[in-house]
This record gives sequence, structure tokens and C-alpha cells, in this order.
Amino acid sequence: MASNFWTSSHYKQLLDQEEVDVVQQLDKEKGITLEDFKLIKMHMANYIGRLAQNVKVRQRVVATAVAYMRRVYTKKSMTEYDPRILAPTCLYLASKAEESTVQARLLVFYTRKLYVDEKYRYEIKDILEMEMRILEALNYYLVVFHPYRALSQLLPDAGMTDATQICWGLVNDTYKMDLILIHPPHFIALACIYVASVLKDKENTAWFEELRVDMNVVKNIAMEILDFYDSQKMITDERTNAAMNKLPFRP
Amino acid sequence: MSEVDHLLSKKVADRYLKREVLGEGTYGVVYKAIDTKTGQTVAIKKIRLGKQKEGVNFTALREIKLLKELKDPNIIELIDAFPHKGNLHLVFEFMETDLEAVIRDRNIVLSPADIKSYLQMTLKGLAFCHKKWVLHRDMKPNNLLIGSRGQLKLADFGLARIFGSPDRRFTHQVFARWYRAPELLFGAKAYGPAVDVWAAACIFAELLLRRPFLQGNSDIDQLGKIFAAFGTPKPSQWPDMQYLPDYVEYQYVTGQPFRQLFPMASDDALDLLSKMFMYDPKARISAQQALEHRYFSSGPPPTEPALLPRPPPKRDSLNSKVSDLNQWEGPTVLSPPRKSRRVMPHREGIDGNTYQVDKVDEHADEIKPADGERSEHVPMSLDFSVFGAQPPSRPTINSVDRSHLKRKLDLDHYCFIRGTQVLAESSNISPHSRQSPNFFLKEVEVTPFYDREGKCTLLLGKLLAYNKKLCKYFDTNPG
Repeated sequence: MASNFWTSSHYKQLLDQEEVDVVQQLDKEKGITLEDFKLIKMHMANYIGRLAQNVKVRQRVVATAVAYMRRVYTKKSMTEYDPRILAPTCLYLASKAEESTVQARLLVFYTRKLYVDEKYRYEIKDILEMEMRILEALNYYLVVFHPYRALSQLLPDAGMTDATQICWGLVNDTYKMDLILIHPPHFIALACIYVASVLKDKENTAWFEELRVDMNVVKNIAMEILDFYDSQKMITDERTNAAMNKLPFRP
Repeated sequence: MSEVDHLLSKKVADRYLKREVLGEGTYGVVYKAIDTKTGQTVAIKKIRLGKQKEGVNFTALREIKLLKELKDPNIIELIDAFPHKGNLHLVFEFMETDLEAVIRDRNIVLSPADIKSYLQMTLKGLAFCHKKWVLHRDMKPNNLLIGSRGQLKLADFGLARIFGSPDRRFTHQVFARWYRAPELLFGAKAYGPAVDVWAAACIFAELLLRRPFLQGNSDIDQLGKIFAAFGTPKPSQWPDMQYLPDYVEYQYVTGQPFRQLFPMASDDALDLLSKMFMYDPKARISAQQALEHRYFSSGPPPTEPALLPRPPPKRDSLNSKVSDLNQWEGPTVLSPPRKSRRVMPHREGIDGNTYQVDKVDEHADEIKPADGERSEHVPMSLDFSVFGAQPPSRPTINSVDRSHLKRKLDLDHYCFIRGTQVLAESSNISPHSRQSPNFFLKEVEVTPFYDREGKCTLLLGKLLAYNKKLCKYFDTNPG
């Protein structure tokens, strides 16, 4: 995304971790814990990614869609905004906002292919109705910045173009977390480069120092990313399903 | 009162008291209303839902997206948006009239100071858009609205796009023809803010002449009119011209001197005008540079907006599109009909659709492997499972993940190769290698390298060393 990040609505909307980790009252009443909340959001990020692979949209649209989804749930409950409809609708809205429209009927079609569970069934009208509610929940702020651009410019500068694939994958995976709601995107990109440097055993300290950015922030994000991969081992389908089952079907 | 009752039942809509209809907008009815919260008069655009059941109108969404980020005294303010009875409503500040009405009104005399004031406000709005990397792409007098205190604001961002993305290809079917820059008429797909400057130059000329300056009746004719005025461009004037997609050679004609075209204008006005009408988009003055031109510092000073001559307030001020269509038959044609200019969003929609449709066939087979995957988890792009398990944490990427990653990357490239209008921006792994020489400006991402005060960090300095052209750009546009 072009435009100036520091004057954007995205920058103004950045939150603290504590603000993101709030389970809405309605969801709490359904027995949804913070762990469930995170699990469901990750599950939905995966859902959006899989759907996107089928309808063939670029990664940027996926990233925007996941950011929309995560933003909505900082304000609205999953009880009121069923994630199983919200997630594909976020992809639908993001595809429009990122100027590569996907038809609603295609999303309906591929969701049926991907999920046999009838709880995932929805019709075009559900998407269109949810689109309006999402727009309202987002307060019509649609421009989202992503780490990809920064990444593609930082990598050659760091002399790490050979780590492009790893970094790319890392950035994609950060959308399974809430990082995009909390940190400026180029910090996320730097953290991914940092992780990749460690991974590839590349000495990059001098380069990072030269950047004059707060390395503590970068390192903290990097630690979060590693913790995430670590905790990933513990996540099973059963746990995700158990969390999902706490949600009411079609409120 | 049932109407009011109904409005009161809505969370947001209870703010507004509906008044008379102002006109038909680009994608719905526009009506006047009173904001009960502020007492302010507003204009509300009711957005029709698309016929193909495709939700919120794409063009409207674009306008919302951009206007939410663009807050400036010379840009129309989007005050609020709310859904009501299944339609989306956009609330704008109410504007009394537009620049077309000013130019058209024969009872109005525009002094050089008045013209300077109108042009200055136009360029200020434009410079702000460009600073935010937004191209307006539909600059013309009736999209320049004028408020009750004379302030001019850019409106109708339905065609606007964010630029600055590497190798973005845009449609050239933008702008009303008379305001279209020559590079667009020659089919340029990668263009920059210079197209808006050309249109602003046409508006400047129109303010001076009190009639549209270059009234072509086809794209070819439009270029003919441009060349008849300024002379056929020589390759030395515009080296990239002959490489444009729709380039055709025109018979050589010599242009007329600016003095002869605009007999009433001052020397400074003519100098600025000639710089805004530069053929080569790279040589054309930027909106910001134009504002710094001596035309604005030399006398007479621009008129205070509140003192500018304006026609009596007209009824359909926010969007006078209906009258446009009627004018086409009448003798005083001031703009080509609306419909012919609005090709772009529709066209893009069709392109997008056909693209989608053939994809269904192409990739029908690919659905299967997806089914075979674990239904609840997308595999991680990277396998970090060994983290912690193995003391010297040196995880490797296994081949499955590698191929998965590769697929993801291919996916991004796919869009790129297909050459759709909207390219895979994220696929641009090495921005320098794909640089097209003409449009290096578009390759630059400023954001991450600026700190909060807008000063460059060291990193930017390093990047600049990479690219001399880049360097040149930052020198001329600090901030």
C-alpha cells in the first residue's frame, strides 16, 4: 500500500495487546475463553487463506481480509457476527477494496467444496448482509498496510534475497496472529527478517543497527512469532472444534 | 411522520432529517438533509445496490475507502456513512455549487485574482491527494464543488486510485475526454499524478477562456485538438511517446504561441500554464511545484474564497450529472455525456468476471487436493516444530512445506503473469528488477522509511544510493 502510513487511519487504529485480547461479554457468556478466541481467529485466518487459494486472489487480499476480521472482533462478538460467515465476507470485501473483485457466488461455491459441515453453509444474501455489517463495524476504514512491500525492499538491502521465501512464509503466518492490529507493518517485516537471519545463521546485527529502529520492538515481535510456532504443536483439530462448538449456530 | 419514526429506529440514521432530492449521482440518488446533531446541511448519497447482486457498489466502496483517508480543506468531507433499508448512505458536507456553474454563468466576471484563487484551491486539493498517493483521475469543473463560503473542494473519487504500487497497470479510460492527458489518449496504462495536472491545466485554461479549451469529439480528434494548439510533439520533447500502446503518428503541425491562445493571461499565468501542459509527463510540473510557481506569489494576490463571485445557489449542486446528459443535445455542450466517461469501473467488473469464470474451469481439478488436506488447519508455511525440541535451534524447512511455499508464491506470480489490471503487488519481490524506466516514481514506497517526523532514516539513504532516479525524486519532493 502506498500512501503515508504515519498519517493513515491504520496507524491511528493500532491497539495494544491487552486491547486486542478482550473477549466480548456475549462470547464470555457462551463460555469462550481467551484461548478459544485466539484459536477461532486463527482458524478463520486459515479458512480465508484456503478460500483465497481456490478463488485465486493475491496474498495481499488475504492479508487485508484477515486484518478486517481481526479488527471486527476487537469491537464485536462472535455470537453476533458468526465467524463462519464473517470470514468469507471479509475476503469478499477485501477483494473489492484491493481492486480485484471476487464474485460472492464463487465464495459460496468453494466454501461448499471445502467444508461439508452444514454450519459453514451460507448463501449470497448472507454475504451481502454481512458486508454491510462489517463496513459499519470497521467504521468504513478500509485501507490496511501490510509488511510485504517493506519486506521486498528490505531484503535486498540486507543482502538476504536468498531468504525471500522463508520471510514471505513468515509474513504470511503472522496473519495467524494479531500482530497486524498491534504493530506498524514494517516492524513485522523486520521481525520476520530477524527470524530468518537466525534461521539461516546469517550475521545481520550491523545491518539492523544501522536501521535506527527500536530493536526491542523487533525482537519482541520475533519472539512472539517463535512462541506462536512453538504453541502451534499443541493445537489440534479437536481443540479448534471444541472452541467453534461453543458458538451458537446462526444467531 | 412515519418516515421520521422509521429513521429514529435506526442507530445512525436518527441524525438526519431528509429534505429534497438534489439529483441523480453516479451510483444513486442524492438528497439534501439536516444533520440534527450539528444543525449542518448535508448531502446524502444513497447507493443503489448493484444489479448483479454484488453488494456494495465497487465505485462507491472506492470513494469511501479513499475519502476516509483524505481529510483536507480542499477535499470534500465524508462526514458519515450508514446502512438504511439495505442501502448504504454516504453523508457529505453540502456544497452550494460547482466550478462548471461558475464558468458557465455569463453574469459572472472572473478577475485574474479570482481565477488564481480557484486554481490555487484546485491545486491544493490535488497536491494533497498526490502526497497521499491518490490519483483523482476525474478532474473536471463539475467535480470541483464550491461551498457556501467560496471554498473549492475536489469531489467524486469514484474513479480515484491509490498509486505508488510497483508496476501497476491502470485503465486509460478515465477522465472526461476533454481533460484527458495525451499519454492517456495514447493508451498509457502506467501513469502517474501528471494526468491530474494536465486536467488541472485544462481547467485553468477553461477559467481563462470561459469555455472548455480542447473539445475533441473522439480520442483521435482530442489529440488532434491538442496538437493543433501546442504543435505535434517532437521525439526530443517527449521521448517515450512512440512507445505508448496506442501511439499513432500525427502529421506535423506547428502550435500556436501561448500568448495567442490566451490573450488575456499574464506572463506568469502563461508560464505556469505551459509547464502544466508539458507533453512529457515526466517533465510536467507537479501540483506541489505548481503551487510554488511565481504566478501565485506575484500580484494580484488570489481573491479570498468568501469574496469569489458565485452563481446563485442551484438546486442540484452535489451532482449535476442529470443536466450533463441533457446538454449533449443542446447547443451549449460543456461536457461529453456522463455515460461514455464511466467506462472504467464497469469494464473492470466485466474483466474481473470473465477472469473469474475461466478460472473456475481451469482450476476445477485443483479443488480435489484441497479437499484432501486436513480440514481444520492450513499447513504452516514453515515447520518450526523442531524449535525447542532440538537444543541448537536450527529448524529446517521440509519439502512439503517448501512446495507449499512455492505454491503460495506461484499464486502471487500467477496474477502477475496474467496481466490483469490489478497486479499481484506482493509478488514484486525485487522491485528494482521490474522497474520500467518511464515510471520509476511509482516504484517508490515512502512509508516504512520515514520516521514520524517525516525525516528519512539512514536506511532510506542507503536505498537512495541504489537508485539515482529515486534519489532525484526525493530531492525534489521532500516529504
